[in-house]
Amino acid sequence: MIELLYIDPGSGSYLVQVIIAAVLGVLFYFKNTWLWIKSFFTKPSSKPEEEKIDDKP
Amino acid sequence: MTNLNRHPASFRDPSGFIYEKDGTVFRFVSSTYSQHFQKLKSSGLYNDLVAKNQLLSFEELIENHTGQSDWLTTLRPLQIPFLNYAWEWSFDQLKDAALTTLAICKSALEKGMILKDAAHFNIQFVNGKPLLIDTLSFEIYEEGSAWIAYRQFCECFLNPLLLASYSRMEAHKLLLAYPDGVSASLTSQWLPLSSKFNASVLLHVHLHAKVGVKKIKAADATTKPFSKKSIFNILQSLGDCITKLNPDARASAWNNYYSETIISNEYLTEKKVIVSSWLKTITYTSALDLGANDGEFSLLCNKEVLIVAADFDSSCINNLYLKLKQNRASNILPLVLDAMHPSPSIGWLNKEQPSFLSRKSFDLCLALALIHHLVIGKNISMEMLAIFFAERCTYLVIEFVPKTDSKVLAMLQSRKNIFHDYSQENFEAVFAVHFEIRQKTTVLNSERTLYLLQKKR
Repeated sequence: MIELLYIDPGSGSYLVQVIIAAVLGVLFYFKNTWLWIKSFFTKPSSKPEEEKIDDKP
Repeated sequence: MTNLNRHPASFRDPSGFIYEKDGTVFRFVSSTYSQHFQKLKSSGLYNDLVAKNQLLSFEELIENHTGQSDWLTTLRPLQIPFLNYAWEWSFDQLKDAALTTLAICKSALEKGMILKDAAHFNIQFVNGKPLLIDTLSFEIYEEGSAWIAYRQFCECFLNPLLLASYSRMEAHKLLLAYPDGVSASLTSQWLPLSSKFNASVLLHVHLHAKVGVKKIKAADATTKPFSKKSIFNILQSLGDCITKLNPDARASAWNNYYSETIISNEYLTEKKVIVSSWLKTITYTSALDLGANDGEFSLLCNKEVLIVAADFDSSCINNLYLKLKQNRASNILPLVLDAMHPSPSIGWLNKEQPSFLSRKSFDLCLALALIHHLVIGKNISMEMLAIFFAERCTYLVIEFVPKTDSKVLAMLQSRKNIFHDYSQENFEAVFAVHFEIRQKTTVLNSERTLYLLQKKR
């Protein structure tokens, strides 16, 4: 814990991001594949492939 | 720099700083920031974000007020009418500030830039919308690098929102106690077990807290390229997680005040008619509605001027924020504020973020159904209250609630009646030292009296 005190508050999250990005890569891959499969069984007016971050909160 | 006031909070970033000259705020941009600044403009990112109302706009001046040799340009940003901080925002205000930060970072990445910091200090609510005010937060994205501000974003936005949503803590109070944000390890300890069933919380908080800080040094030393797609995924995941969060549903003490109170509808309607007619007789350019509840009376004020609607109940302020957002009433700024503990000045030398009361004086104050809470509930004397308002405003719309009123009787049931000078005569006598009465009327079906007071010259 003490080591945390010597790290710039803005940095020090590289390893966490590597792990999270790897997990998210797999999750989003399956999510998108599922949405792709689902798109064959639903009407074309269904939700877009990827949910976007709301640009207008 | 002799006649310029450098802003006390503007010292961290060597790319530039904020200063005040003749009452106007300017931003000095250093030549060391040149490449990034050119990219911000040439990529179309600046225009894009300003058009989306996410970034504070600026006007560029070719005038070096500072005399510094590393001058690149001077910016005159849109002036912020009333500074506001995360410890005064309700849940959905913090949530919208978080989502705006993510949306900006995403737009920046699409244009080959990235946010180098993501603190709540970089956001201000201006005209009803959260805007990024720090123009120098953008830097050119370097292929292969991770998001440098990821941890800061989690600590400033994600973690307080999760704690407010899962653990009934209030995000604004957490951020006053932890102005730089709440760490993953604390958040992980405070969140309930159920939060571990949410994949995003598991990753961004629990894993974040677990992944040894001890390993960081080794990992940073052997940094492997990090793909842009990975950053997009992280932004997407944070956005999805935050979008689904809601404040704790347990009702607050005050958010059903008007719908559940025994006070009649006629009373409220009559009070609105009276206040509305009085407000038309005076001229004011700013107003502070103290004890605004869900803002019924702030909404009666002039729609062209700044109205700060403050209440200590964050749930009421959140409802008001959502209502204003829906109605696009951008002149009203809802803020969570406890009159007994108004936001202090904090930061380096106590000067970075000024206290609530030192930020601005208002032309008009509204204090409706408020003073009995302060006098009988908190032992503030009438004299103290009169001085408080005399120092803040020129006009005061205030309501006197007598001891015989059912609400006051209820308050006095649980405590000793030591308030012998709490009477209408004494109220008038004490306020007459500072104010003259312009209007006075009792409200239909109640024993309450409304006053329009004007400060004596």
